[in-house]
Amino acid sequence: MTAPPREPVAKPVRRPPRKPKPAPGSRRLSPLKVLGTVVVWAFTAFNLFVLYWLLSSSFKTPVEIFTQPFQLPRQWFVAGDPFRNYVYAWNQAGLGSAFVNTVLLVGAAAIVTVVVSAPAAYALTRLGVRGASGMTGFVAIGMGVPFQTVIIPLFVNMAKIGLANNLFGLFLIYVALSLPFTVFLLTGFFRSLPDEMEEAAAIDGASPLRTFVSIMLPLARGGLITALILNLIGLWNETLLAIVFLQENADFTLSRALFTFYGAASYQSEYGGLIAGVAIVVLPMLVLYVVLARRIITGLTLGAGK
Amino acid sequence: MTTTAEAVVPRPRRGTHGQHEVRKRRLFWPFVAPAFALYLIFLVLPTIATVVLSFTSWAGAGDSPEFSGFTQYARMWASDSFQYSFRNTLIYVFVGGIGTFVLAFLFTMVLREMRGGKLVRAILFFPNIVAPVALGMFLGFVFKYQPGKQGLANFLLESVGLTAAKFLDPANVTWAVTAAIMWASSGFYITILMAAVDRIPPYLYEDAELAGASPWQKFRNVTLPLTWDVVGVAGVLWTINALKIFELVFVLAGPGTYSPPNNAWTLGIYVFDRSFGSNGTPDFGAACACAVAMIALVTVLVLLLRRLMRRDAIQF
Repeated sequence: MTAPPREPVAKPVRRPPRKPKPAPGSRRLSPLKVLGTVVVWAFTAFNLFVLYWLLSSSFKTPVEIFTQPFQLPRQWFVAGDPFRNYVYAWNQAGLGSAFVNTVLLVGAAAIVTVVVSAPAAYALTRLGVRGASGMTGFVAIGMGVPFQTVIIPLFVNMAKIGLANNLFGLFLIYVALSLPFTVFLLTGFFRSLPDEMEEAAAIDGASPLRTFVSIMLPLARGGLITALILNLIGLWNETLLAIVFLQENADFTLSRALFTFYGAASYQSEYGGLIAGVAIVVLPMLVLYVVLARRIITGLTLGAGK
Repeated sequence: MTTTAEAVVPRPRRGTHGQHEVRKRRLFWPFVAPAFALYLIFLVLPTIATVVLSFTSWAGAGDSPEFSGFTQYARMWASDSFQYSFRNTLIYVFVGGIGTFVLAFLFTMVLREMRGGKLVRAILFFPNIVAPVALGMFLGFVFKYQPGKQGLANFLLESVGLTAAKFLDPANVTWAVTAAIMWASSGFYITILMAAVDRIPPYLYEDAELAGASPWQKFRNVTLPLTWDVVGVAGVLWTINALKIFELVFVLAGPGTYSPPNNAWTLGIYVFDRSFGSNGTPDFGAACACAVAMIALVTVLVLLLRRLMRRDAIQF
């Protein structure tokens, strides 16, 4: 297992030397390799094209979208109203309030998830309590439970206490359902931290709580940030629970609002507005991804590779 | 536990150490309790409740659950909609899974030696951060069939002189979604497998290269054995994720706001339609029975996969 990526405590000493040239004659062009290279590049080009198509179409009229899929947008720019689709989607689908709801709900849920998971993951890995690994496994099983299977009892009981159709109710569910993955990811991080600093803190007379707060948490900062980002992305994209637990337009999250908008807008052939709506949901995540791609990828890899 | 022994034989340093251990353990429950409480209340207990409710007939709000034994399961098993859901879910898990992993393996053979490999990986990973609802809508435009206003896929088909295809017809949509899922999720599995490949000491590949091994031989004899454990984990992840597929199909196969025709259903759609769908009265009992079938299926598949993948770990 690789050591998990941490904040740059110490840089790797030196890059390994470039790999030596292969023996002459061994670098034959094999058909498999040619095929593979072609597939890889075609795939990559396709993904980039999809992104271009999404962005350019969000500025197009429906006719342009379907008859000129490769060209740059023209008509709305000629008409002097290039952001027409975005304005339409923002107003018609109520994406303004949905945006605020999503940012607040998803932000709060992701932060609280990490705040609740970090002590639990620490306790499960580093306090030397018997049975902790069994308990870790018990929580990890939760990752395999499809949300659909808990939706009915949750909905019925949340309705009884007035938390169905309610953003706070959804917040609780988001936190609880994000816990298994987050605890699992963070146990991996805490397990990999060195013992020495913890022991040194104990010898210096720091209480276990203080050791956790001022030694272990800062050491695990990379893991905590990764967990936070992964939860932000996952919850930002979550739709099923939002469909079940949010009924009022004013409470809608972005993906929930987009889901409702889809039926109405495709009925009216408002394709430009729809694609703009999709872009409004996707672009913030794309920006986050471009800025933090390395951390997101290593984080997910770490979660899966253990 | 050694604390008592240490109390009997006090040693200056070890004594305080033992005391520290006790104080550490006292921290355990306060630290674990909040997470465990939420986990139990929102995930474990509801799962148990679902199992119990699956033995009742219950039309949802206003009605009360009545014990009915295995009737829900028998009725569910006999219904067309469940059989379609079950079949489609298995198609996503197996056909989609095999396709995705073949793609991912092909990529691991090439990406290791390729320039710009990291950038390619980041680009391929991108669809994984897009909301499935947004992905479904986007693919709706790609696969759209409407003479004169063809979606991208049919636009391309027609521009090379082929006839347009009805990708999103209920009979075809499962295959269109399978292809879409393979495209969208392969980036994730490529990333995981490549991270494992990166850990393999390069001299093994250099050795193989000096011996004149082909890419396939290198894959078969170096990459696969040394990443086997990660492949197993990736397989489990795939199974769990493929079984949950809901939004993508819901949006692609249907008009979007109510359930699609039932030959395009997945188990997730079955549960949703029977509990919150707008067609007919809710049937919480049947929905719970299907939910239990989902849990059973994921358990069986994961255990089976782990058994199949069991090998001695290779240390390197």
